[in-house]
Amino acid sequence: MSVLIDIILAILAVYLALQSLLAPRLTQSVFLFFAFGLALALAWIRLGAVDVAITEAAIAAGFLGVLFLDALRDFSPRGSEKKENLEAVQNALPKNNTKSLLLPGMALMLGLGLFLLIALEAVWKIPDGGGLTAAAEALLPESGVEHPVTAVLLNFRAYDTWLEIGVILLGLLAVFAVGGIKIYRKPVMATQDPLLRQVILFFTPVLFLFGAFLLYIGKTGPGGAFQAAVLWGAIGILLHLGGRPVFSMIPRWLGQLLLTIGLGFFLILGFLFIAGGATLFEYPPAHAGVLILIVETMAAISIAAALTAIFANLNQMNEGPNEIESTN
Amino acid sequence: MTDLPTSPFPALLVGLPILLATLSLFFSARVKALVGLTGCLLTAGLALIAFFEVTQRGTVIHILGGWEPPLGILLRMDSLAAVFIAMTAVVGFFISLYAWRYFRAQAATTGGFPLFWPLWLFLWAGLNGLFLSNDLFNLFVTIEVIGICAVALAVLSGKTGALFAGLRYLLAAIAGSMAYLFGVALLYGSTGTLDLGLLGQVLEPGTTTTFSLLVITLGLMIKMAGFPFHFWLPPAHSSALAPVSALLSALVVKGAFYILLRLWMEVFGVSITYAAGQLIGLAGAVAVIWGSWQAFMQTSLKLIVAHSSVAQLGYLLMIFPLLILAPGVTADSAEWLSPTWTAGVYQVIAHAFAKASFFLSAGLIIMALGHDRIESLRDLVGNMRITAMAISIAGVSLIGLPPSGGFMAKWMLLKGIFMSGQWWWAPVVLAGSLLTAGYVFMLLRLAFAPAREIGTFRPVPKSLEVLALLLALGSFLIVLPADYLIQFLESSEVFGSGIESILKGGAYGND
Repeated sequence: MSVLIDIILAILAVYLALQSLLAPRLTQSVFLFFAFGLALALAWIRLGAVDVAITEAAIAAGFLGVLFLDALRDFSPRGSEKKENLEAVQNALPKNNTKSLLLPGMALMLGLGLFLLIALEAVWKIPDGGGLTAAAEALLPESGVEHPVTAVLLNFRAYDTWLEIGVILLGLLAVFAVGGIKIYRKPVMATQDPLLRQVILFFTPVLFLFGAFLLYIGKTGPGGAFQAAVLWGAIGILLHLGGRPVFSMIPRWLGQLLLTIGLGFFLILGFLFIAGGATLFEYPPAHAGVLILIVETMAAISIAAALTAIFANLNQMNEGPNEIESTN
Repeated sequence: MTDLPTSPFPALLVGLPILLATLSLFFSARVKALVGLTGCLLTAGLALIAFFEVTQRGTVIHILGGWEPPLGILLRMDSLAAVFIAMTAVVGFFISLYAWRYFRAQAATTGGFPLFWPLWLFLWAGLNGLFLSNDLFNLFVTIEVIGICAVALAVLSGKTGALFAGLRYLLAAIAGSMAYLFGVALLYGSTGTLDLGLLGQVLEPGTTTTFSLLVITLGLMIKMAGFPFHFWLPPAHSSALAPVSALLSALVVKGAFYILLRLWMEVFGVSITYAAGQLIGLAGAVAVIWGSWQAFMQTSLKLIVAHSSVAQLGYLLMIFPLLILAPGVTADSAEWLSPTWTAGVYQVIAHAFAKASFFLSAGLIIMALGHDRIESLRDLVGNMRITAMAISIAGVSLIGLPPSGGFMAKWMLLKGIFMSGQWWWAPVVLAGSLLTAGYVFMLLRLAFAPAREIGTFRPVPKSLEVLALLLALGSFLIVLPADYLIQFLESSEVFGSGIESILKGGAYGND
């Protein structure tokens, strides 16, 4: 029975991925991509990686979904100017010339098929029972937390996690780099839509509490900073859409502090350990549990802030240069 | 591995630039540049101190979190890593000074690009982390950091051409990362360790190992713009701002090469066959000819320099076939290994200095002319004497004329080629040098030619010209400590080693 479920999931994931690529309209592609993300999340659950499943669902189907939908708006024929953009994009695409593409296309497919077969053989031949699960389990009591995934992420391989927090901040800096330096535009008018107001009023505390729960539960079970951060990021995005852009409403320094505290606090803590004669990220065993929880909270705040800021900035870029100039 | 002396320097080399980058985010544009420049000076100083620490104490390590491999991550600074870090520091120091003055000169019209500073410091931390890393997955994280910073820097000018090139660069970088990560997952699945040292001991030949070698090599080849995956490099490097072009060409592509070298020598020995070495050497040889020829055909200066990078990176790939020993040859009897390694390291360093100088000079010419079409270079010598000198000196090093660092690299490469008996690479080295001489002398001919019209050159800051010249001179000065440097490098375990392919046998070809 379980094999059947696995087979169906595997086929479904590949099918949805292909459909998403081949869909004739962008809107369809985007929604198929959500479905693909959810199928992957299910696959992760089947593999016993619940942490990854939550992250996959939250990032791939949630955050990426929001970004995609926002990007779709840019391609929708709203204003005449946008329409011209769309036409220009479509004209720039190569015309359907099936004949001349047939041969190289077939060669490419053949090559890819061969590659896939060898890849399958390579995966097939992996021996069972590898991995560091046993080693991680054995040292779990010394790590300060009870969940092996959290122990690996925040203690055994804290260095990687710290760099990854940096990568998310870099993502935001890259968005700034692409869009120029105009940051945190003044908000549009607060929403008058009563339904949206109610939704925001209801969801903000719920999302906050659920995020905090995921953060705390990471100590003993699946959950943790990244999962919590996506939920908290969702609060920021909701508020932004409701006409209350967080980063325009708080002082500049506070926004910058929120964005950098995760990376900075973790690093300064690590430097303090070095100053105390230990190595970078070597927690004193007695306080490891508390320190990890603080580090995770800071990281979650920063990641949530970065996700919100990435969305807010992309959202502004879509408004077109004129509006941005006039409001600044 | 874990009984080596411990030092905090490896952790500081990654931590300090990131701390300073984070700090610089808090300041306004003008102050950000100052904080960034100070950060660059501090990072460069720290790197040189760490270099001297390694010369005194030998290889030092830093066990992150106190957890030893295979569970934890270990940073290792051996002499090879120390040389790469010191090179990054010296070249990065000059580029930072240049960038500060260059952006300040244009601040009125462009806003001074304050984002350059945090991105460059993050990039620097990523490069240091890459050179120090001893862990397959951590290497992936560092190439992610480097990749995002590099793309963000490449599009910083905001021009349409740069954005298009940047998107291509991003897609290529992601494809490379994914291929690399796939290989890492296969290796972790089959061995249960990510530590390079342990992997080298436990890895067994088989389809899984061979396939991961294939995808990891593929991914890194894309990242280092090895032929035929060089398509993203010329547009991305030529459309970026001058200091960024210099960083990307001089330093960033070397990161992927460094990992490739380390992994082939230390991890994948069991799966590498003689043919694999010949194949990657062939890719390098084609890159040398193709890149040089393309450079020769270009009409704008920055595109010439960018295509020249493709060729110069080709020389780096050409050392691989020499490091893989033919059946029946042992590493002890292979006397060509030491010259080949020297060629590789000197090619990396000489190219970093010369190419950085070339791109910085190109930036000055654009500043003076408003464009970089080469027909306008007439009478460059009369108008921008120092820049003309920088271009000619850097060009001489790229060609490989004595007594430059480029000469040292190409001479040692030829020595390795003839000693190993793989004579078929020799014509490529010579043809590459000739073609390089072709485009360098074409530029110099124009630079010395009399001007057709007068007063087309606007004045540029002298200090910038001097910085570019100093980098060009650096590509000559690096030859002076050659004896000492090679002696120092020989203390590294990997330097001077070769792969005895047939004795271990791979899954395909020779089992």
